[in-house]
Amino acid sequence: MAAPAKAPGFAYAALRVFDISIGEMLWSRRTIFMLLVVGLPVFGALCFRAVLAIGGPTMVERMHVTGPAIFGLMIWAAFVRFSVPVLGVFYGTALIADEVEDKTITYLFTRPIPRGAVLVGKYLAYLACTLCVVLPSIVLVWLLVVPVGGSLGANFPDLVTDLALIAVGLAVYGAVFALIGCTLKRPLLFGLVFIFGWETIVLAIPGYLKRFSVAYYVQGLVPHAMPSDSAVSLLQGVMREIPSLPECFFWMTVIEVACLWLAVRAVSRKEYVLEQ
Amino acid sequence: MTKGTRFVLIGAVVVVMGALATGLVAFYNGSLVLGSSSQPGEFSYLPSTSTAVAYADVRAIMSSEFRKKLRQVLPTGTEQEKLKAEIGVDIEKDIDSVVAAMSGSDPEQGGVVLIRGRFNDQTIESAAVRHGAKAESYKGKKLLLMAEHHGEMGAIRDGGKPATPCLAFLERGLIALGDSASVKRAIDTGAGGESITKNADLMKLVNEIRGTGNAWAVGRMDSFTNHPLPGAVKDQLSAVQFMAASVKINGGVSGLVRAETRDDQSAEQLRDIVRGALAAGKLMSGKDARVDAMLNSFQLAGSGKTVSIAFTVPPEVFDILNGVAAFRGLK
Repeated sequence: MAAPAKAPGFAYAALRVFDISIGEMLWSRRTIFMLLVVGLPVFGALCFRAVLAIGGPTMVERMHVTGPAIFGLMIWAAFVRFSVPVLGVFYGTALIADEVEDKTITYLFTRPIPRGAVLVGKYLAYLACTLCVVLPSIVLVWLLVVPVGGSLGANFPDLVTDLALIAVGLAVYGAVFALIGCTLKRPLLFGLVFIFGWETIVLAIPGYLKRFSVAYYVQGLVPHAMPSDSAVSLLQGVMREIPSLPECFFWMTVIEVACLWLAVRAVSRKEYVLEQ
Repeated sequence: MTKGTRFVLIGAVVVVMGALATGLVAFYNGSLVLGSSSQPGEFSYLPSTSTAVAYADVRAIMSSEFRKKLRQVLPTGTEQEKLKAEIGVDIEKDIDSVVAAMSGSDPEQGGVVLIRGRFNDQTIESAAVRHGAKAESYKGKKLLLMAEHHGEMGAIRDGGKPATPCLAFLERGLIALGDSASVKRAIDTGAGGESITKNADLMKLVNEIRGTGNAWAVGRMDSFTNHPLPGAVKDQLSAVQFMAASVKINGGVSGLVRAETRDDQSAEQLRDIVRGALAAGKLMSGKDARVDAMLNSFQLAGSGKTVSIAFTVPPEVFDILNGVAAFRGLK
């Protein structure tokens, strides 16, 4: 009688889950939503160049603005404040919740692989999926907008910083929402309350509470000046404390590792009761 | 992983890597300008040692709505008429552009102004000679050296020798004004010397700012810190490495002031100061909607070591000034 096949290790199992999940994630309806979210800034940049090409004004509300300034505003408004947390919440909370909702989690958990590897594999697929849609969108906006009154060379360091901080932001938000998705019953609702309620409020009030948000550390890395386009953002700008670069990286690493570890632990121990 | 998924992933990586490679090449090349890159011909006369350079598209400014409004406010000067009668130059119609550059911290010690337009060289020369100028030739260019003077501010060169004001005809339709040494240096530069276009630090800012308005100025600020300035101003200036400003004059005036600081922290401090000043301005503006609109037009931007403020002075503000001028009987 042949010896039973050895169960794959954690890393191999996670990579196998990643391989299967990336395709599922990329060709899902959620990706259409993601394309809309990150496609809007590109569309805006294209419109901006088209207006310039036909000799349109380079004034915004009678104010002359340069490409690098517009790019900085787009990074803040379209990516840091919106796309990154929203994609994090929609994808992160769905990593396990979708399998529970579709009642397919049983099939995954009956495989001879560690349960935690399923979550890690799916998390890596989320990261690859979002990065390969968001980062090209940023570089396209950069190539279209920055040459207007600016130079690509002078703004290259800012682009590298922006790409890095968006990648780190997606990773951290993904880990936080993966934990929420594994532990809470209505993860999407909690996620939306977290990003549009908790984070918005704590950043606008003085004190230490803002340290209990991801946005505080992500926004601390943004090289562009914070826009003051609304009363809340003006208040956030006034109350803004900028943590140092090592502090940002340290706390984001702590949040990411801790959330991912807790999520793996929760998935490994939790009994998922599927609703009939 | 399916073929389609692999295709999307590779495509995304190629797009990002392509943009990064473009940016990297541009970064090490100084500047990869996608768009108009033509520089004013006058740049070939400005030495690479220039610490500040300014440009004004006089023709565009003179024909702007702003100029018309300003003319309603300001009393008409007779100096302009006198100048036209004396040298045959109508400032409003005959001058196209002005470029100025200085090499030190004092414009009277190493400054040159290049004026492009339509001039009658003979009329200018005879008028200058009538006022005691001496004609001289330097590397094939005609110089008109004025009588030596100490200038209004007592401009005396380091060696104790007073500066000699000079006018030179560099090429048809281009004259240079400045002290004789600076004008000769401009001629040397035009004859093959190292021009300002080789000054990478300054040109980087010039290329970024010159497309944003019809008048602009860029300068190194550290050359100004030797001046006797108030301590607080000196402290702030010491953090600023380069300063650039541009204005677009049309119906109203919109502008952009940009500072490059020594480090990110100084830039953030400067942004905080500007934010504070804007907030104080808004508090003190009362309920005047027009002043409020003007203050709201101030937009702080910038990244890293860059701090920039864009602003707009709407045409209505000039209507207010016009009303004030009429009230005071200035018109």
